[in-house]
Amino acid sequence: MGPSGTGKTTLLRLIGGQIKPDRGEILLNGVDVVKFKRKELFDARKKMGMLFQSGALFSDLSVFENVAFPMRAHTKLPEDMIRDIVLMKLNAVGLRGARDLMPSELSGGMTRRVALARTIALDPELILYDEPFAGQDPIAMGVLVQLIRLLNDALGLTSVLVSHDISESLSICDHAIILADGHVIGEGTTSELRKSDSPLVKQFLNGLPDGPVPFHFPALDYQTDLLG
Amino acid sequence: MIDLIIRLGRSGLGYSETIGRSGIFLCHAFFGLGLSQKGLKLLVHQLYKVGVLSLVIIIVSGLFIGMVLALQGYSILVDYGSEQAVGQMVALTLVRELGPVVAALLFAGRAGSALTAEIGLMKATEQLSSMEMMGVDPLKRVIAPRLWAGLITMPLLAVIFSAVGVFGGLLVGVEWLGVYEGSFWANMQSSVDFKEDILNGVIKSVVFGVVCSWIAVFQGYDSVPTSEGISIATTKTVVYSSLSVLGLDFLLTAIMFG
Repeated sequence: MGPSGTGKTTLLRLIGGQIKPDRGEILLNGVDVVKFKRKELFDARKKMGMLFQSGALFSDLSVFENVAFPMRAHTKLPEDMIRDIVLMKLNAVGLRGARDLMPSELSGGMTRRVALARTIALDPELILYDEPFAGQDPIAMGVLVQLIRLLNDALGLTSVLVSHDISESLSICDHAIILADGHVIGEGTTSELRKSDSPLVKQFLNGLPDGPVPFHFPALDYQTDLLG
Repeated sequence: MIDLIIRLGRSGLGYSETIGRSGIFLCHAFFGLGLSQKGLKLLVHQLYKVGVLSLVIIIVSGLFIGMVLALQGYSILVDYGSEQAVGQMVALTLVRELGPVVAALLFAGRAGSALTAEIGLMKATEQLSSMEMMGVDPLKRVIAPRLWAGLITMPLLAVIFSAVGVFGGLLVGVEWLGVYEGSFWANMQSSVDFKEDILNGVIKSVVFGVVCSWIAVFQGYDSVPTSEGISIATTKTVVYSSLSVLGLDFLLTAIMFG
């Protein structure tokens, strides 16, 4: 978790190998992602999934074909088996009945649920969630919060969730890390973070407009700026 | 002055980097299309979108250009009593120059801009990133079929353009202006050489196909993922492709006929 612009999505992209860090290492099952060659990286990604903020569904494919896409790309499963798996994944997110719809016909919440079904299509070991709750209505948000925790436990996944929706994130996470200005300012379980003395952590968790993270973007003195 | 030199140097480095990046991109995409059933299916789909859907504009333009050529050619040749050579003039102009060049310009405007906009929008809506994160290489899945479709369809479209243009010339020259049909075809047959004219024209269109498709897919893939970025990339595709086609046409003509 952390304020906007602090590098949360960048961190996810680093873990997924989409961008390379200037220094340091990112270990995936003990192997450094940074040192992967192009083919090794694409092979490693078959074991991970990423849920994008926008859902990133393929706009020219139906809901069914979107979820079937990773299976068609990486397996030689027969068509009837692909159909069964797709329907099971869609059923898990409550959208089995929407299989024939196109992405343009889905609401924001449905788009993310279909994207979630696609993400779990190949039963990955790791799922990266990029702001899954942003811009969701309360019902869709509640559904997503439950789904993420449920899928994590049922499939035995590792889930890395990036968000600034504090209560939703803290309600389902085992371990939270708060970032600010590219640094870790606090980490621990939900109760440990709630007890933290750090003014930065307090400001973030309580949603205070001003504090160590200033409300104003760096600028000239107000009076000088106005009067010249 | 120093500032100017710094800025020039920086922009020079930027352009060099882009050219290098686009070269690596071309290599990856060129060899990225597998001969599997999936690869061929994707290619056929793109051949339809890039080639078949461009047929209308190519046929209509070819017809009118052939008609205009015959009309203009006739009005000049008739002064010298050589109006029977109008078929030869139309055919040579189309096969050597206008066929490959105008077809490539139309291809850049119709198919090239569509390719750039499509790929740019896929990038802006994170579809390319999500594909990457699924372990599917967008260079193989998205770019390679589109690049190859452009390479394959461009020469075919140029040939169709020239053939329809000759038919347009026939309509105006023979049916309207009264040139003797036998002379129209006989002069054309005797003056158009397969290797010298037709093959060179096809070689030109292959080169234009590579350049136009390369520019279109690279501009889309390299675009800034915003609405303004896609708009700029689409404009760049049309401008760079048109200028490259015209510049390369001069170069190739100088080599082939100079």
